[in-house]
Amino acid sequence: MNLFRSEEHARRWPAFQARSAEGFIALADLGGLFGTESRRHMLDADYLSSWYPRRAAERRAYLERIGKTSPFWLGTPDAVQ
Amino acid sequence: MTADRSLHDRAFQRIMRGLIDTGRAPHYAEVARALGLPVDDGRRLLREVMQAYPIGWLHPDTDYIASFPPLNNLPTQYRVTVRGEQRWFAQCGFEATSVTWLFPGETVRVEAPCLDCGDPVTIEMRDGRIVWADPPEVVGHLNYGFGPSRGQPPFL
Repeated sequence: MNLFRSEEHARRWPAFQARSAEGFIALADLGGLFGTESRRHMLDADYLSSWYPRRAAERRAYLERIGKTSPFWLGTPDAVQ
Repeated sequence: MTADRSLHDRAFQRIMRGLIDTGRAPHYAEVARALGLPVDDGRRLLREVMQAYPIGWLHPDTDYIASFPPLNNLPTQYRVTVRGEQRWFAQCGFEATSVTWLFPGETVRVEAPCLDCGDPVTIEMRDGRIVWADPPEVVGHLNYGFGPSRGQPPFL
């Protein structure tokens, strides 16, 4: 989960995985994905018990909103070929 | 000892506040002292908190906090500067964009070397807004996919 100077730089990275060609995300979208409602409450006294548990659902909803619905992004098992 | 949720919340905030205030995560003995607990209860409490917050982790075979996202106690290439001080490290490039929520009203600067060329990647955020990116083409990249099905550490 890294930042690169551009997609071309990432593709030249020696550790680049072929499947991760679908793993790019625009910086603005990344800020949104990691800025969902629960993230804004990390300093609240009840963050761990009340806000952190909401994060997975928020993340999934945000990913779906920006069209990243593959197992690669949603963390769901790959379809059996 | 299995602590209640309120104690987990208090320990979580003590750790996070410690990271924010000093750039370093507290030791469990310090967490215990802050919460009025015996030291060994602090150790067990730390382990319970890390179980409840599994996106962070302890250094293997220790009770030392390595990662407590969005910040990291173990230095990474994602250096975070606030008010002109580079005290912090983000867990990864993605979590780096969440550090802004720990410093309300402040400009948070994240600098990292590009893993391809070593040239700098810089972003600045304020209250969740991206106010600067250099170069403007900065992009996030997920190399293994989210989730345990990928079989790789989540931070890669």
